[in-house]
Amino acid sequence: MNEPMDAKQKENERIVEKAKALFDDSVDSLDAATLSRLNQGRHRALAELQRASPVNPWLRWVPATGIAAAALLAVMVMRGPDGVDAIDGPVTASDFEMLLEEDSLDMLEELEFYFWLEASDLEANGNVG
Amino acid sequence: MTAHTADFAVSCSREHSTGTKTLQGERQLNQFLAEVERRALRMAEIAVRDRDDALDLVQDAMIKLARNYAARPSTEWAPLFFRILQNGIRDWHRRQKVRNRVMVWFGRATSGDDDYDVTSNLPDPAGRTPDEQLQTNEAMQQLELAIQNLPNRQREAFMLRTFQGLDVAATATAMGCSDGSVKTHYSRAIHSLRDTLGEHWQ
Repeated sequence: MNEPMDAKQKENERIVEKAKALFDDSVDSLDAATLSRLNQGRHRALAELQRASPVNPWLRWVPATGIAAAALLAVMVMRGPDGVDAIDGPVTASDFEMLLEEDSLDMLEELEFYFWLEASDLEANGNVG
Repeated sequence: MTAHTADFAVSCSREHSTGTKTLQGERQLNQFLAEVERRALRMAEIAVRDRDDALDLVQDAMIKLARNYAARPSTEWAPLFFRILQNGIRDWHRRQKVRNRVMVWFGRATSGDDDYDVTSNLPDPAGRTPDEQLQTNEAMQQLELAIQNLPNRQREAFMLRTFQGLDVAATATAMGCSDGSVKTHYSRAIHSLRDTLGEHWQ
């Protein structure tokens, strides 16, 4: 009963061994031009390691630093120049969102103008002095 | 030594350590690729029947491994490399199908066998007689043809297990399937090859 199975198993092993021997022989017989091209390809791959090297660790902090600076500016604007709350009411997340938008950052660049404008309004309404 | 000098020394030491690690990693990867490249080329060549295309596929696989997986443990490189290569071979077959359809449309179908001669690039470093060399080349041609006629997954399982010597788990990773599927594909491939080659290889 087991004899045909064993014979088949042996035949399978023989096929695998012969296939492996033939394949190994064809690998050992590769010509110099092909080996040279493989070598070139390998060095191109290794050159990728240099490109993929990690960026300067300090640069990782750039986005966080930018957000922190924007948040600081936001607090300064809300506190006003003399440490007095310039904006009434609680500070909400939407306020920060608004401040971090590109247009709002443009506004921050012209902050001096807005302070002057506010002071002029207060003066005109007789609230100063 | 001032505090600044000490900081600088520590910084230089870290950079030196990182540089040494990088160099060591590069050496390891170089050694790994040198070990697998020739077998990978022959496997790709059997699958696509063209040495130039096979060289391109192997180079692409080496570059992708270096770019994306060099930091992974070196024990994982073999299955990852062969997975990239097998994906490349599958893409190549898809592109060939599309190309052939286009060629048929224009009345110039290609079989993919054109100008492919497995013996053309094989000098004999073992110093065998021309008759012995001819017999070996014929046996290899029969084997290649039989492997090429296998379904794709059976061909992959057979070549990875037999030619590259990957175990079942590594072959499963390389093929992106379960261990059980690998065993099934491999077993069917051997049965098929036995039926095809058994008579020729008595």
